[in-house]
Amino acid sequence: MSLVLEECETQSEIRLEGAVDIACAAELKKLLLQALESGKELRVSLERAICLDVTAVQLFWAAGCEARRLGLGFTFAEKVPEEISSALAVAGFESLLVSENGSQAGSVR
Amino acid sequence: MTSIANKVDQFKQTFREEAREVLVDLESALLELNENRGDPELVARVFRALHTLKGSGAMFGFDELAAFTHHLETAFDEVRNGRLQIDSELIDLTLAALDQIKVMLEDDAGNAAADGSVCAEILAKVLQMTGMAESRPAGPKPEQAPPANHNSDACNWRIRFTPGPELLLNGTNPLLLLRELKQMGDLRITASMVAIPPIAELDPERCYVSWEMVLATAAGQDAIRDVFIFVEDSCELVIEPALSPLLPAAACAAEMTAKALEDKRSASGGRRNHDKADNASSLRVPAVKLDQFVDLVGELVTVQARLSEIAARHDDPEVTEVSEEIERLTSALRENSMTIRMTPIRATFEKFRRLVHDLARDLGKDVELTIEGADTELDKTVIDRLSDPLMHLIRNSMDHGIEPADVRIAGGKRATASIRLSARHSGANVLIAVSDDGRGINAEAVRSRAIERGLVSADEQLTESSIFALILQPGFSTARQVTDLSGRGVGMDVVQQSVESLRGSIDVASKPGSGTSVTLRLPLTLAIIDGLLVSVGEAYFVLPLANTLECIELTREDIEKANGKQVANVRGEIVPYICLRQYFNIHSERPEIEQVMVVETEEGRYGFVVDQVLGDYQTVIKNLGRLYRHVQFVSGATIMGNGTVALILDPQRLVQDALRAEAQGGRGHPVSAAGSRRLKDISAANAS
Repeated sequence: MSLVLEECETQSEIRLEGAVDIACAAELKKLLLQALESGKELRVSLERAICLDVTAVQLFWAAGCEARRLGLGFTFAEKVPEEISSALAVAGFESLLVSENGSQAGSVR
Repeated sequence: MTSIANKVDQFKQTFREEAREVLVDLESALLELNENRGDPELVARVFRALHTLKGSGAMFGFDELAAFTHHLETAFDEVRNGRLQIDSELIDLTLAALDQIKVMLEDDAGNAAADGSVCAEILAKVLQMTGMAESRPAGPKPEQAPPANHNSDACNWRIRFTPGPELLLNGTNPLLLLRELKQMGDLRITASMVAIPPIAELDPERCYVSWEMVLATAAGQDAIRDVFIFVEDSCELVIEPALSPLLPAAACAAEMTAKALEDKRSASGGRRNHDKADNASSLRVPAVKLDQFVDLVGELVTVQARLSEIAARHDDPEVTEVSEEIERLTSALRENSMTIRMTPIRATFEKFRRLVHDLARDLGKDVELTIEGADTELDKTVIDRLSDPLMHLIRNSMDHGIEPADVRIAGGKRATASIRLSARHSGANVLIAVSDDGRGINAEAVRSRAIERGLVSADEQLTESSIFALILQPGFSTARQVTDLSGRGVGMDVVQQSVESLRGSIDVASKPGSGTSVTLRLPLTLAIIDGLLVSVGEAYFVLPLANTLECIELTREDIEKANGKQVANVRGEIVPYICLRQYFNIHSERPEIEQVMVVETEEGRYGFVVDQVLGDYQTVIKNLGRLYRHVQFVSGATIMGNGTVALILDPQRLVQDALRAEAQGGRGHPVSAAGSRRLKDISAANAS
């Protein structure tokens, strides 16, 4: 898996590739905290991710709450692999994937 | 990373262990189903076991196992729904598949170690039976399995699943469990995130999410619970009928949210209090750790005995008090450690169903196996070493004992033969019997063969039980034809050796035309026993407490009244006794008043005459070693607190030995013949 944090002037973007699971949960937490501390809008891209597990979902949820508390935006890039969105839907996490325009993030096949 | 990988490996191992148990149950259910083909409960049991193996296998990365099992599950789903009939072909195919699953399970990666061509052949036949050979030659992956049970019989179940905090570290992915649930019917699901703490406090490897679901399915509560079988000890799981079929999961979730908030408030650091989940009701411990533990307890018992001895010599109340306290604690620890090692014999017994099924098919015989007393508990070490002897006894019964159907019918018997495998407690022992209703043993043929082989002389007088005991001699066999199964004459003596290595004995009973029963008498445990320490002269002996009934005095006058017979009058009951001084040829002055320890044996009540009874003695059994393995009437030895050795006597064997000596020596004294014969052995054992 690969986790990359890219900082722009007004936005931080975390790009995730491969399996985002417990093996990289500690690293993902570190990146999310780093991004939140920057005080910029936070965007997460799952376009190249293969799967998410519960550890990732919890971290995104907590990061979203923290972003709201700080008055920052927290969104997902629109394109989410079908496998991930359907797995999240089965587990009752469909509300997690809010994209930058406020709608549910779309699926890519 | 490494610790996570280690934990995943550890939990894969747990899956293997639990899957082995599921496989035992599956095999047993299949064999029962073979005999009761219309039983829907058994069909459901087989289906559930396959479903569990498939679902959990996929969850723990045993993908090939899961995919392979999926096809079998589909076949039994067809049976459940009345579209496929159970026949012997399906049972045999599933049993063959089960053998392949066992191989897949033991392989490190859970893949490809099984015989590919055999697996392919099994799958082709299963697909043909289920009518899916053409439509799905490659077979779906387990996660693509079609949704089941969407029918009018569906009930609504409310499921509350709250994973324990360590669940994710176990390598478990709850999302796969939820996906599996969804395959069982219509699932409405709400995830509760309220327990997730602020991100700075969040432990990224812990699980904080829980789920509330409503599942509409025709599957029963057990089937739903099976989805969670491998995580049940590390989660809170509530499955109950939904009060209203229209109750949405979201509505149920309100209650759960309140509960989660309550948990969050009461937990420190934003973490839920998972005491209940963490304190699992049972846990798995490697057998080797248990053995080490019992060894250490054994050593502690010896040291404690030494301490008691020292405390008795030093008249110091403080030392005595501490010694007594340690004695009490050691005793409790010993009891406890023995309990931990006790295991029901069920699993060992159940696996013989398959053996009987396969042998019956190979030999063309119709045999039913009855199991009794499967909950009888025995020391794990004893159970582990019982499989081989029992297997040999069953093979012997199947091959030589049970007659072909036509012979049975001609003899007025049922065509279906019966083998009974039973276990029961008898004092400090367990009796395990393999009985059949076959042709029985021809005592005269056994005697002739024994004479032919030079095992006994032609004029030797033998009781029936002595004749049957001859079949346990090395190289003895009356079977004229060597078969794949038995009849090589190397079997029963190996059974005898195995049982003797467990400090057990074998009793053979048989009636021509009616059948044979072979009973193994085994000690409950091999490690420690409760005994009574007695002395004769300067020699010490331990008699197992479980066999001992009472102690009476024996005076010179009592001996004279018996007119030379070694019998004692115990409140009007005449009890024969064995004088240990005489038996072991101990040269010391006989006290005026001796003690008779009355013990219960299978031959009735017998007494053992000793000089003194020194009291209760918790005894760590030490083997005498290979040189003394033929000294039957001594179970082992123990080192006492003062460093001297005491022999642990086996009262049953002592009495049998005395009776045998009496039978061989004609009208002589019950013990005199055996006595002098054994002296050298015992002296040597004591010296060692």
